[in-house]
Amino acid sequence: MTNIRLKNIEKSYGDVQVIPPLDLEIEDGEFVVLVGPSGCGKSTTLRMIAGLETTSAGKVFIGDRDVTDLRPGLRDCAMVFQSYALYPHMTVKENIGYGMKVRGVDKKIAAEAVANAARVLNLTDYLHRKPAALSGGQRQRVAIGRAIVRDPEVFLFDEPLSNLDAKLRVEMRVEIKQLHRRLKTTMVYVTHDQVEAMTMADRVVVLNAGIIEQAADPITLYEFPVNKFVASFIGAPSMNMLEGKLSGTGDDLVFESDAGASFPIPKSRIPALAEFSGERFSLGIRPEHTSENADVGPKIQIKVIDVEPLGPHTLLIGEVGGEKFTAQFSSRSRPQPDDMVDVYVNSGEVHFFRESDGRAVR
Amino acid sequence: MSVRDLRGAKRHWVLFGCLIWLTFALFPLYWVAITSLKSPVDVVGGPTYLPFVDFQPTLKAWTELFSGIRGEFFSNFWSSTIVALSASVIATIIGSMAAYALVRFTFRVRLMSGITFFVVAMGGFLFGREVLGIGPATASIIAFCIALALSIFINRFKLPGPVLGNDDIVFWFVSQRLFPPIVVAFALFLLYTEMGKLGFRMTDTYFGLTLAYVAFSLPIVIWLMRDFIASLPLDVEEAAMVDNVPTWRIFFGIVLPMSKPGLIATFVITLAFVWNEFLFALFLTNSKWQTLPILVAGQNSQRGDEWWAISAAALVAIVPMVIIAGLLGRMMRSGLLMGAVK
Ligand SMILES: Nc1ncnc2c1ncn2[C@@H]1O[C@H](COP(=O)(O)OP(=O)(O)OP(=O)(O)O)[C@@H](O)[C@H]1O
Ligand SMILES: [Mg+2]
Repeated sequence: MTNIRLKNIEKSYGDVQVIPPLDLEIEDGEFVVLVGPSGCGKSTTLRMIAGLETTSAGKVFIGDRDVTDLRPGLRDCAMVFQSYALYPHMTVKENIGYGMKVRGVDKKIAAEAVANAARVLNLTDYLHRKPAALSGGQRQRVAIGRAIVRDPEVFLFDEPLSNLDAKLRVEMRVEIKQLHRRLKTTMVYVTHDQVEAMTMADRVVVLNAGIIEQAADPITLYEFPVNKFVASFIGAPSMNMLEGKLSGTGDDLVFESDAGASFPIPKSRIPALAEFSGERFSLGIRPEHTSENADVGPKIQIKVIDVEPLGPHTLLIGEVGGEKFTAQFSSRSRPQPDDMVDVYVNSGEVHFFRESDGRAVR
Repeated sequence: MSVRDLRGAKRHWVLFGCLIWLTFALFPLYWVAITSLKSPVDVVGGPTYLPFVDFQPTLKAWTELFSGIRGEFFSNFWSSTIVALSASVIATIIGSMAAYALVRFTFRVRLMSGITFFVVAMGGFLFGREVLGIGPATASIIAFCIALALSIFINRFKLPGPVLGNDDIVFWFVSQRLFPPIVVAFALFLLYTEMGKLGFRMTDTYFGLTLAYVAFSLPIVIWLMRDFIASLPLDVEEAAMVDNVPTWRIFFGIVLPMSKPGLIATFVITLAFVWNEFLFALFLTNSKWQTLPILVAGQNSQRGDEWWAISAAALVAIVPMVIIAGLLGRMMRSGLLMGAVK
């Protein structure tokens, strides 16, 4: 049983509170991804689990052990750093085996573990090279190998892939996922890349300024973001937001955007939204829920600024009354910059966020 | 713009300038080398430049040097070598440890406890001397120990006054080197003689001389190694910490190998300092552990300006350092960190 429990952990540097009291439970064998914008405290949280950073208050449990005051080495975590952090003067083999050598593991067993890890990570041909003679992807695999042979209770990853190029990143993503499937060890993974978060996680924890905005599985996060921050952070290209207010009553409830567009509220949403008539709201529309087909729902007129043909579909970067709006059309349509285009919105998929606190109403 | 980009005449001028400078730098060495081969007549009879052309070279100065007519050459060479090597090795290792501690850990020394140390150490010494009438060495050792223990103890409490951090400590180390060495050498000499009276022979011993050199080299070692260690990636050490590698092993197994270029540079600088040092050796030794600089200087005083003898001795003092620098110079180059991060 190696779940991780963070109980009211806080972190302050002097007077600056980086992490306000934070609660998080990570289950045994779960793959949790902490995601959020730069500087939101992801690394700090991870380093508090690893013990590389002390907590200003609160407690950290790994399994049943209270590890709050334990030094990093005794927590039985393995960590993979963004910068790889390999020992530059040791060969790949020595790098992977160093921890075992220090712990006095039997030489034969250690050699076997190193060989195993190298085989799994396709490093067998490089065992006698120094890190300087490896590519970025190989270095990162050595770092992962070093973590695997530790056979830890918990794996911690701090943006392990962000120094790799896009293609390698996708490959390593798959490798780490496979690793998790095979080892079934609890993993905590930090990234600022929401695609990485969505593709890898059992559960994504969205952090903002040290606060957990939402923790849920990727699909829930995508379909039911609890607030405006999560909604615009998750999904690429990110969700369009139109500012405006609700007006009308009963079945005539409409959203009137500040830009002048009016958007009838779909029947299914009226019960939840009716009581807020007159209040200011943001209307969230994902680009992938827009179309050039008139039959999907109500329309919004946008002025096209740029056209991005991606192949499977084409993105229109445009604006509505000064606000940016991205629409997704089929690749058959060929609008030009400066055109005025009618965009039809799948009204069943839109989100409403109260302007007062940013929370979603549904 | 780099000199490499120069073409044509400009390039030749630069080359010419460099050659002039090279001649200027190498000429004294050449002069010493040929002077050591001259006979007394050739030295005093005006300048001569080319062996076999201007003068007939002779090995007289060298045979005299090695046969021991002019001082205990082999003994001096031997003591220079082992004192210099051991003092530099010890100073580099201890200094690196101190530098590592000063880079990676935060120290807080209250000014009040520093002042307490000074007052207790000085006061205790004077009290022991004047009131109790104890010998100076005993008095200073006792006062020093009490002052150290007391100041470490009271540093735990919230004393008024400023708190000094790591940078202040480093500056304090380095400030040791701001004294004129003669002051330190003289004080050390007094201390050593007093200790000798207590039965710990320190003057003209391997231990005494090495200790003095280690102490006097430490500030520079700490200063140099601090920058080298501060430039090491912290991630690598953190990775080892997470892997449950004990701190001493992180230091010896990871930090020291990573700072190898810095270590070697520091070692060579310390070695050169100790090898060339004259003042301490003059004060603290008299026969058995005299070093080469003393021998070289001695050539002058014994029988007048015998430049041929001085030159031979000087060459012997120079050559080992040239060899060491040549051997270790290539290892000082950085680039060892490649592949650790990024
Ligand atoms: N030693 C420090 N002193 C003061 N503030 C710090 C210190 N270390 C980090 N911070 C602050 O803590 C906050 C969180 O830092 P952290 O490294 O956890 O961010 P992050 O989410 O990992 O960002 P990134 O994606 O850029 O790595 C940042 O705003 C940073 O400025
Ligand atoms: Mg970070």
